[in-house]
Amino acid sequence: MDIFTMAIWVGTLIFLGVSLVKDKTKTKQALKMAFGMGKGMATSIFSIIFAIGLILTLLPPTEIANFVGKQSVLLATVSAAILGTITLVPAFIAFPLVGTLVNAGVGIVPSVAFLTTLTMVGVVTFPLEKKEFGAKFTAIRNGFSFLSAIIIALVMGVII
Amino acid sequence: MTVINKIKENLFLVLVVLAYIIMFIIKPPMGIESIKNSGYYIKEMLMIMPVIFVLTALLDMWVPKEKIMKFLGKDAKAKGVFLAFVVGSISAGPIYAAFPMCVMLHKKGASIRNIIIILSSWAVIKVPMLLNETKFLGPKFMTIRWILTVIAIIIFSWIASKMLKDEDLPGETVTKTGLSLNRDACMGCTLCVKNYSELFEIQGRKAMIKTYDKTTIDKEKLQNMIKACPVNAIEYIEE
Repeated sequence: MDIFTMAIWVGTLIFLGVSLVKDKTKTKQALKMAFGMGKGMATSIFSIIFAIGLILTLLPPTEIANFVGKQSVLLATVSAAILGTITLVPAFIAFPLVGTLVNAGVGIVPSVAFLTTLTMVGVVTFPLEKKEFGAKFTAIRNGFSFLSAIIIALVMGVII
Repeated sequence: MTVINKIKENLFLVLVVLAYIIMFIIKPPMGIESIKNSGYYIKEMLMIMPVIFVLTALLDMWVPKEKIMKFLGKDAKAKGVFLAFVVGSISAGPIYAAFPMCVMLHKKGASIRNIIIILSSWAVIKVPMLLNETKFLGPKFMTIRWILTVIAIIIFSWIASKMLKDEDLPGETVTKTGLSLNRDACMGCTLCVKNYSELFEIQGRKAMIKTYDKTTIDKEKLQNMIKACPVNAIEYIEE
């Protein structure tokens, strides 16, 4: 296990210990909640992972890198951002996935755009958001998120 | 009928399984390769997912969100913005769990700007996730992306709040007294059924309220149940 995963485990276990000492029922409830969240998301997480495994076999990351490298940065970034809006991938799958892509040679700018829209903008959640907040709010929020994903990506390309 | 429903609910999973079957028939080596590729992500996920869920649940339980929420109104400027970021980045559950909560906050007086900040930070800057990002993409990458994202959210939430008025959001829905459950937010974790099977059941992978007799409700048990729901989907308003 690497140092970062380790740090989260150690930190959480300490937190859990303190919590347990302070309030047993509250802690028990938190654990139940965590278990419930995991159970509720398990099916969709496994489906997404197996879909990613399949896609990466059909389109190996090195070939994706090759293809993206041939496009202009702006086109690649906008396409990556659009691709990211279609799906809704939990962050702990999104990070290793984007890590794989970056290591295979996909540029930092399209990767960041993909990562940000992957987690922030959702075509899937659009109807739900619209129902709760109205069309105008939802369109403005998702539109701005999309724009900032591209801007964040371009700025990161300059800094890194 | 139930088979069709099951397929509908798990449409994505069914499609993935079908794709694998086709793959194994046409090109078995590629099928094996796909499983191997997935294996890497499953391993990474299993190492981190349990602890992230526990950490988010603990944060959700211990940070006094009710107190924070008082400061999210229109008058609270910098403090409100800061606290909106805090609420968004420590809360548990997927983004769609944030929708009903933010509607409730708006009704209680939170400004549109702060709601946009909560929703956006809920999606991208979960504290436990920052370490995960560092692991795969490096500390420099994480720090810069994090700073840029916070700046972007501060700017676009401000512009958006100039474009939106409170009237643009759907008005007060008629609040019914009694027990209600937001099925859009429910993740089907079955906690409510386990804790209070007289009131809840699972139908189509999501919780449902059974027909109940209000005189027999154990209010304390119900209140605990409402707090335990990971996505705050259950509400009880007394008559």
